[in-house]
Order: sequence, then structure tokens, then C-alpha cells
Amino acid sequence: MAMAQKEITVLTPQGRLDAAGARPLEAELKQYMAAGKIHLLIDLAGTRYISSNGLRALLAAQKQAKERGGALKLCCLSPRLVEIFEMSGFDRVFEIFDKREQAEESFE
Amino acid sequence: MVQKFSLTVDSQLEHLSEIADFVELAARESGLDDNKIYEVQMAVDEACANVIEHAYHGRKDGTIDIGCERRGKEFVVTIQDFGERFDPKKVARPRTRDPLSKRNIGGLGLFFMHKMMDKVHFEFSPGSGNRLTMIKKIK
Repeated sequence: MAMAQKEITVLTPQGRLDAAGARPLEAELKQYMAAGKIHLLIDLAGTRYISSNGLRALLAAQKQAKERGGALKLCCLSPRLVEIFEMSGFDRVFEIFDKREQAEESFE
Repeated sequence: MVQKFSLTVDSQLEHLSEIADFVELAARESGLDDNKIYEVQMAVDEACANVIEHAYHGRKDGTIDIGCERRGKEFVVTIQDFGERFDPKKVARPRTRDPLSKRNIGGLGLFFMHKMMDKVHFEFSPGSGNRLTMIKKIK
């Protein structure tokens, strides 16, 4: 019998995830969580900046997803974003992948 | 010639990207490289988000005055608001090595400001509000 495939929800936030940009992302993540979509992939290829507020939005969603047996994973970070995640220790809160395909496969 | 740059905005999160553009221009004109420009931008972004959320508690009609200038080998940023006192001593340091279940969400903005700048100094006076001075060494 084939294993049921997990439904992965992919988000691609664009531009700046500052205190203003984090709000719509936070709202979107809450909606997905409420709809039971707990396997989330955030593709950050189009995100050129993330502030503490952006990190907080991701952290809150990760906590909720984990509590329900899911996960929030990240891919395609620019070197600057990688630096921010490492500096704040958030690289240990999320699984981070270089490429989107690798991240998608990791859910299976 | 000393070039001073200043920007005044209302206390709205929507102005953060305009502030980032302003900082980029001022820092570039003052001779900072891309990396240092990015670091100053981040520190100012975190500082201004703090002002909007904590000094003005989300009020949209507060004033934020931002000044940038090069003094010798230093790039100096001042951020002035007229809101409630911000006491950095009351902000808990984030525990960046804690596991997910224990990570709390406060203090990260201040943490980044200190990481990105060489000096971060807060002053408060009842008549004139909070004045934050941050310094980045240029060379």
C-alpha cells in the first residue's frame, strides 16, 4: 500500500520581512494552521531582508506546527539571511535547505 | 565638508522601508561599504520598529526623527522619539542557544542592534523623550 503523501504548503514571501512585512505573513501562516495545513515550506528566495519581527512570525508558526505533528521548513536563503539565522540561533529552530526540491523531498 | 542627513516620519510600520532607503543613501554617501550599510540598516530598522511598538504603543501620529552623519571614521545615527521611556535594562537578553520549546520572543531587536553596531546608547529626558545614538566604525 502506498503511503499517503503529505500535503506541503509553500509560501514565497517577497521583499522585506520587517515589522510591517511580517504581519501579512503571520496572518497567512495562522490561516494555514487553522485549516490544518501543518507541513509548511517557506521559500525565501524573494526575501531580501528579515528582522526580529519576521523571525518571530516564523518561530510562532513553527511552535504551532510542531505541536500538531507538522513542521515549518525553510529554503533558498541568501547569504545575508543565513547570517541572521545563525547569529540569532534560529538556524537550530528550523530545518534549512539550499534548494526547494531538497526541502520538499524532506517532508516525505 | 560634513554632510548631515535627516528624515522625519510618523510612527507607522509602513515607513520602515522608506527609512531603510534613507539609511542606505546616507551611509553610501558617507563611504560605508555594502556590508556595513546592510548592518546599519538592520540596526535602524529594529530601533524604529521598537519606537513604534514600545515608545508609541502602535500610535500612528508619533514623530520619529532620524539623523545620520559621518564623524571622522565613524558613522553616527541618532533616533529621537517623544513617546514613553524605553529602558533597555528591562529587556531580557534572548537566549539564542535554547531549544524551540524554550525560545522566547522578546529582546531580539535589541540583540541585533548591539550585534550590528559598535556602540548603542539610550538617553531619556521627560521633556524630550528617547534619544538613541548608534555608532558604526567605518574602517
